Amino acid sequence: MSGWDTGQLSMNSTYLSTESQPQRLDVNVRGLWVFDNVLALENATASVLPEPGQEVRFQCAGLEEIDIAGAWVLYDRTQQLAELGIKSELTGFQAAHFKFLQHIIDAAAVREYEAPPEHPEQPKPVRDALENLGRATSSHIEDLGEIAHSILDGVRRPSLIIVGETLKQLYLTGVQAIPVVMVITFLIGVVLAYQAAGQLEQFGANVLVVDLVSISITREMGVLLAAVMVAGRSGSAFAAALGTMKLNEEVDALRVMGLNPNQILIIPRILGLVIALPILTIFADFAGILGGALIAVGTMGIGVRQFIERVAYSVDVADFYVGLIKAPFFAFLIAAIGTLRGMQVQSSAEELGLKTTTAVVQSIFLIIVADAFFTMLFSRIGF
Amino acid sequence: METVISVRNLVNRFGDYTVHDGLSLDVGRDEIMGVVGGSGTGKSVLLRSILGLQKPVSGSITVLGQTIEYQKPGPSRCWGVLFQNGALLSGLTVQENVELPIALHSDMPVETRHELASLKLLMSGLSLSVADKYPSELSGGMRKRVSLARAMALEPKILFLDEPTAGLDPIAATEFDELITYLHDNLDLTVMMITHDVDSLFGICDRIAVLVDGGVVVGTIDEILELDHPWIKSYFGVPRAVRARNAQIGRQHE
Repeated sequence: MSGWDTGQLSMNSTYLSTESQPQRLDVNVRGLWVFDNVLALENATASVLPEPGQEVRFQCAGLEEIDIAGAWVLYDRTQQLAELGIKSELTGFQAAHFKFLQHIIDAAAVREYEAPPEHPEQPKPVRDALENLGRATSSHIEDLGEIAHSILDGVRRPSLIIVGETLKQLYLTGVQAIPVVMVITFLIGVVLAYQAAGQLEQFGANVLVVDLVSISITREMGVLLAAVMVAGRSGSAFAAALGTMKLNEEVDALRVMGLNPNQILIIPRILGLVIALPILTIFADFAGILGGALIAVGTMGIGVRQFIERVAYSVDVADFYVGLIKAPFFAFLIAAIGTLRGMQVQSSAEELGLKTTTAVVQSIFLIIVADAFFTMLFSRIGF
Repeated sequence: METVISVRNLVNRFGDYTVHDGLSLDVGRDEIMGVVGGSGTGKSVLLRSILGLQKPVSGSITVLGQTIEYQKPGPSRCWGVLFQNGALLSGLTVQENVELPIALHSDMPVETRHELASLKLLMSGLSLSVADKYPSELSGGMRKRVSLARAMALEPKILFLDEPTAGLDPIAATEFDELITYLHDNLDLTVMMITHDVDSLFGICDRIAVLVDGGVVVGTIDEILELDHPWIKSYFGVPRAVRARNAQIGRQHE
């Protein structure tokens, strides 16, 4: 080998070998310089370290295959060397890749402009917190306005389309939810009766289990459970359905066809749910008391007849109404928040998921807040 | 000619409607194959079948020697796909969208991955100032370019394009055609593109596959134009096709 006399073979790998000359480091590039080998190629090129005063010459004639990624590694190394003030050149290059790469980078250099320098900002925790609070508050006020606007817009020129859509929503959100709501409240009735039985038996006040179950179910638990269930079931469905329609530009399509999306998408959902939830509440009350009855009659020796008489004695019609009257308010909250969050989706699937989550969390939160408010109100006025 | 895509006796049926009735098609290495056909002739269904996204009633498909099975991993390392609307992941930035296939198929360091992805964006004719934007913030043409960059991320041997110039203005469409030609000329790349853009068909396609009567007619433009099939005659007989044809002849004479 002629190189033995003047230079020395210092490094060898699958992808390159180097040969040191007095003024020059010859790098013989060979093998498969392709995407799959990028990691190994990077390591190989990183080991190309010329002595001070040496130039680097990459001999590319021995290349078997090269693609853009491989060419990039080689090109990148020449750039790195240039930054260190070392001259390097590529010779014997057959493929068009390098020219191609150079062309792209030259073209990009023309197009790129200097990014404005970023000023690192001092963290201002208190100011940031206050700003966030203000922003959140104003966005909630905006939401309120948006709901009011779309509802008013929706009812401005009512048309018969609403009726059909409302019936459809009534079926989807009400009728179809009956089984699951009944099962849930039935089980809660069972749980309540069991828990109460353990305590009340100590005082020999077994029969009061009936009072406890029937009053708590009718006044609170029935409507609350039905509402939470519906928020999870229909509130999320509203947000997801309307959000998807927004993303597919279906809402815009309705608008340009002369249909008012607020009218045919929002109003029927609100109306449907406002009708459905009170009905669901009645089913929930019934199932909850039934659950209590199962325990009372089955394990506590209270007769069926005695149970019914006790329920009739202890539960006032007012108790039933206290639960029922809250239902339309809860329904309105769920439907309004669900549809609003859906309509707020602008651009991406990610946002859709976020808005759907927000819809469910906010409606359940607001249901509980409203329930607390109602409870205080009713106790003040002695209802 | 080395065959990279081979479709044999493909049958696709939806209910009673037969889309493909024993369709056979070969795409050779390093060629640009244009696919045209009327509505409902199954251009996209053919593409989806080749990609393993559609379960054919019968028939076999091989890509780069590998048999394609429905929803089984295909040669995903060796092909890139540009879907009609870009199909960029909306939750990721432009840069992350292009890096995703690289991250999935390679163990290279993050920095290299980042640089390669940037390079692909540049190759697609984008400025790096879009790298940190989300797909929803881009125009339709830019989204197609990002999608092309993603399709090119793994140095594919085959590029599938589903109506790449649809919805682009004539300038952007011409640029896109030039870009495809440029990539094709400089890389060892086979391109299969569904298109209704007659300029693309005449301008950049080596051969054209016309989907008619449940089957396919393949040939160079001149061969296709000589066929005596009513749909083909009417498709290439409309004024805009004739103009595009004349433009192509004009270019050849220059």
